[in-house]
Amino acid sequence: MITESSVWGPAQREMADVLSGHPDDVPAVVDQLEKLQDVLERVPPLLGSNPLADFNKLYLTITTSVLERLFAGRFADPAFLARLDVEFAARYFDALRQWSDMSAGCPRAWAVLFHRIPGPDARPLPSAAAGVNAHINYDLPFALVTTFDHQGCDPVDDSDQHRDYLQINEIFAEQIPGLRRGFLEKWQLLIDMMNGDLDDWWQGELVDYTRNVAWRNAQKLWAVRHDLQAVGRERGRLDRTAEAFGKLLLSPMGAILQ
Amino acid sequence: MASEVDEAPLAGRTDILTSVQADLLAAGAGGTAAVFVTGESGVGKSRLLRETADAMRAAGAAVLNGACLDIGDASPLHPVLQALRHAGVQPGPGPADPAQDGAGALLERVSRELRSLARGRRLLLVLDDLQWADRSTRQMLLYLLAGLGEISLSVLAAVRSESLHGAHPLRRVLAELRRLRSVRVIDLAPLDQDATAELVRAIAGDDVAPEDADRVFKRSGGNPFVAEELARDLRDGRVELSDTLREIFLSRVDELPQHAHDVVHAVAAGVEPVEHALLARVLPLPEAELIEAVRAAVAHRFVTSAADGYRLRHRVVAEVLEHEVLPAEHAARHRRYAEAIDAVPGEPDHARLAHHWQQAGEPIRALPSVIAAARAAESLYGFAEAYRYWALALTLTSDDWPERTELLGHTAESAHRCGEHQRALTTLEQLAARPDGPGVCELHLRRARYLAAAGRTPAAEIEYERALAAPECSPAEKASAAANLAELLVHLGRYADAGVRARDALELAERADGSTADLVRASAALGFSLAFREDPDAGLAVIRQAVEIAERAGHPDDVGCAYLHLAELLTGPLNNVEEGVLVARRGAEKLAAMGQGRTYQTRLLAIAANGLFRAGQWAESAQVLDDAMRHRPSGADAVEILLSRCRLWVGFGDVEAADRDLDAVATILAGGGARHVLPMLTLRAGLAMWQGRHAEARAAVQRGLTETRSDDLVLLGVLAWHGLRAEAEAQAGGEVPVDPGAVRRLQAVVERMVRGAGNAAPPVRAVVDGYLDLCTAELSRIEQRNDPDLWARAAQAWDRRKQPYPAAYSRLRQAEASFSRRTRRAAATTAIREAYETARAMGAKPFAAEVTQVAARARVALTGDEDVTPAAPTGDGLEMLTDREREVLAAVAEGLTNREIGQALFISERTVGVHVGHIFDKLQVRTRVQASRVFLRAA
Repeated sequence: MITESSVWGPAQREMADVLSGHPDDVPAVVDQLEKLQDVLERVPPLLGSNPLADFNKLYLTITTSVLERLFAGRFADPAFLARLDVEFAARYFDALRQWSDMSAGCPRAWAVLFHRIPGPDARPLPSAAAGVNAHINYDLPFALVTTFDHQGCDPVDDSDQHRDYLQINEIFAEQIPGLRRGFLEKWQLLIDMMNGDLDDWWQGELVDYTRNVAWRNAQKLWAVRHDLQAVGRERGRLDRTAEAFGKLLLSPMGAILQ
Repeated sequence: MASEVDEAPLAGRTDILTSVQADLLAAGAGGTAAVFVTGESGVGKSRLLRETADAMRAAGAAVLNGACLDIGDASPLHPVLQALRHAGVQPGPGPADPAQDGAGALLERVSRELRSLARGRRLLLVLDDLQWADRSTRQMLLYLLAGLGEISLSVLAAVRSESLHGAHPLRRVLAELRRLRSVRVIDLAPLDQDATAELVRAIAGDDVAPEDADRVFKRSGGNPFVAEELARDLRDGRVELSDTLREIFLSRVDELPQHAHDVVHAVAAGVEPVEHALLARVLPLPEAELIEAVRAAVAHRFVTSAADGYRLRHRVVAEVLEHEVLPAEHAARHRRYAEAIDAVPGEPDHARLAHHWQQAGEPIRALPSVIAAARAAESLYGFAEAYRYWALALTLTSDDWPERTELLGHTAESAHRCGEHQRALTTLEQLAARPDGPGVCELHLRRARYLAAAGRTPAAEIEYERALAAPECSPAEKASAAANLAELLVHLGRYADAGVRARDALELAERADGSTADLVRASAALGFSLAFREDPDAGLAVIRQAVEIAERAGHPDDVGCAYLHLAELLTGPLNNVEEGVLVARRGAEKLAAMGQGRTYQTRLLAIAANGLFRAGQWAESAQVLDDAMRHRPSGADAVEILLSRCRLWVGFGDVEAADRDLDAVATILAGGGARHVLPMLTLRAGLAMWQGRHAEARAAVQRGLTETRSDDLVLLGVLAWHGLRAEAEAQAGGEVPVDPGAVRRLQAVVERMVRGAGNAAPPVRAVVDGYLDLCTAELSRIEQRNDPDLWARAAQAWDRRKQPYPAAYSRLRQAEASFSRRTRRAAATTAIREAYETARAMGAKPFAAEVTQVAARARVALTGDEDVTPAAPTGDGLEMLTDREREVLAAVAEGLTNREIGQALFISERTVGVHVGHIFDKLQVRTRVQASRVFLRAA
């Protein structure tokens, strides 16, 4: 039996305080991520260099950029994008809450990363990439489906919503210099090693690509969203895939990225 | 027959039981409360529901129980209707004519049944397995929780937490609802070590060794269901090797006597509750043996028995057994169910029958029931459910099925109606490929309609143009295409193109004797197009003509639609609020006299109320909204009315009522409805400011800014003004610091508005300019150079818009700025007195209070000698007249002409004419002299 204080160590109480918030707009999401960053950097033994802090930092930067673009009126359907951002973040916060509660419901895709909070340390780039992996490959399709459902529109290619969604890729590209050109070949190598039949995977940059997979997965989920069993199966599949990918990123193999 | 077997005590849940009851009784201002219990299987949700229901029933509440089904597709509102039937009420389907706002009428009918069952008591609606609820049920629940059903209702529902992962619709609903004060979402955690030990001792006796209790806790993980079973093993001296629910059940099932085993499998395959008679048909055993078998199944704690039939003690059993059954057994069992239900004379439960035939692997036999279920769902306005049945019917048939084309037609249309745009379009393409499918023209029109609904306007435009170019289309069909296209173009702001198409439509319709609906649509489009292109009178004339045509044809929908357009044109782009209000009220009266068009009546009244609000006639606006609420609106219409009413409460300073309506709006919006979020946010900001909660106002505005389209200048204007005002008041109040980041962003928005206003249509520009004036003036206040001239300019702008509230607000600030600069005291005094007069006339209490404060600081008396407000006359025979009509009548009695009255009251001559007409109607007179006589007698 794990004792309660062992998940976040001395930061347990502050973590619970932060996670008691359920932000419902993008400024509040940014605020919550900032608070989270502050707490995560105090989780021993790795403190600021723990893999989750690496991811959270990147996520905070990206969400701040999204917020700036929202304020600047750069999206065609800001209500959609803002809702998506909130739904997306809510899934990360949920995973953290489930991890804190030691609930069996915590997605395995996330658990891979959470397990590494106490160490051993991983390089910041693969750590952040592992978080991005869980968040995009597992959380994002569901966040998309919920958002479309709520806004009363469909995930259609080349729609305003799709174009807004693709804008985020630019933000990722700006924010993850490490994943840009120079590292792409290594990334390709990694994918090839993991799975032989992924030739058609490669179309551009990693995040671009995985985000597109998320969009396709959302379309797939959308079609079966009324069928709870089918959704459950799909969820299991996405969770397992993302878990495997996350493990790879956090393995010594992942270090070649950086 | 035994209903329950030795139930274990409820360990470790005493506190939660008490708090759930307290929460259920702590209804919000809307009179409703809800507790949603989430948790994993076996954690004790159903038990908690049962115990709470018993306690509340004992305390005098009326209790209704319903459970949602996991048969994939249940009929709409299943759990609620089931609960009603259980209580002996038989709610019938809707009226035959679905055009008459059927969905709202159905909600109202169900509410009425619930009200009569409650008989003034608090009604507790208990819903288990809410994760399987259909969309209609979720919407009904939100309608009731928003207080629209006017029932003192508490909802207690259980949701499996596993279902809330991923993208389940309830996830979002609960996330929104949990922000409300009257809603609790409780995550039921497994028992802790002590509570588990308590449970173990209660079952296995007090002498259980602590290490045994400990082992039960570790093995069960505190899951009470598992812990209970393990404790029983401990008591009975059995060695249990398994820890999971699944393994425990399987080992137990194996121990059952053969017939009891069959009973468990049969109930698991059935749709609960399984009636005894049905079970007897499915399991053809002699009566005595069957009863014996059921008794054993109950004794082994698999099945529970109630008056309405048998249920599994826990749904997990069904899920576990599902994996143990051979496909052939599974099919055979369902076939027996289907045959048994078929054999009962009378109308079967089609949803249930369809389920069993499908599971029996006989899709074609399921088909009639699937189709019947689709039609039944449509009669209950459950279009989402109907669509799923139609789609299912498609999967059950092959391409060469004789009614395939008809099925495709129904599927496409129901998909369109429930918002499955993509499916509607793909199904339409399948329909188009059928040799016996609809004609080219109908396909173009339908495709365009579906595309427009999906928001894909460029594609929709192309389809309409194809219809117009197609030689197959009749002139009437082309008229319809052109009219719809014109309407679409108005929405896109392409007024010139819209005008061209609308003229085409009118011409075609005239030649081909087109439908009234198309005529009204085309006229409205032309009217708006002209009004936006600076020929308002011509635009008005066109829509007036449409009203006449609609009235002559006499169909309530056309009449309602025509009046709606006319009222919108007047109150919107033409800014002739007064006449717009008159038209809206007259339209609503006309429809009321026809006894139809409830939806249009509600919408017209909403326009009237909003117009009255803008014109500063708040008391009357409140009355109109009361009328509108009496029509029992639901969905988006209800949200509009609630938002309008809330705006009045904010103005009146009735915080409690404003909060109540905001909560009701948030409750309905939890089910979807993005376009109402922004008005809700501005109201939140406005309310927070009167309460001095500037940070909250700021947060609401910031959120609004992130969710507003950059081309929606009016909305941006409202938000920017609210935001700058909040910062300015933070500045003035000195308690909350000004947020420079927020100010910077607001300034950027103002700059964007300035750039955009140049290209906006003149009517839009006029409104945007008004807000820009306010923003500029607020900025000067934030920068601590509060400039009275800027405020005076804003006041004049809003005077020109004939909106006294923002004008008075600007005058107050103008006076305040002058007083603090110690300049032009006389002008400032006049301004603040005018502001005060307006505030008092409208009943704007918080605003009046602020005026009084500023005046007191400046030592200015707010009322001069002429402080005589005419006492409200009562019982003078003129009660039926509105305030404005009284004013007009008084002027008529003075012998003024309409033109003179118009000049005196700052309204158009024609508007005076309309007022005079109404006065004549109401007083039942025919001449001005007669009217004057009535007035003078009353005076």
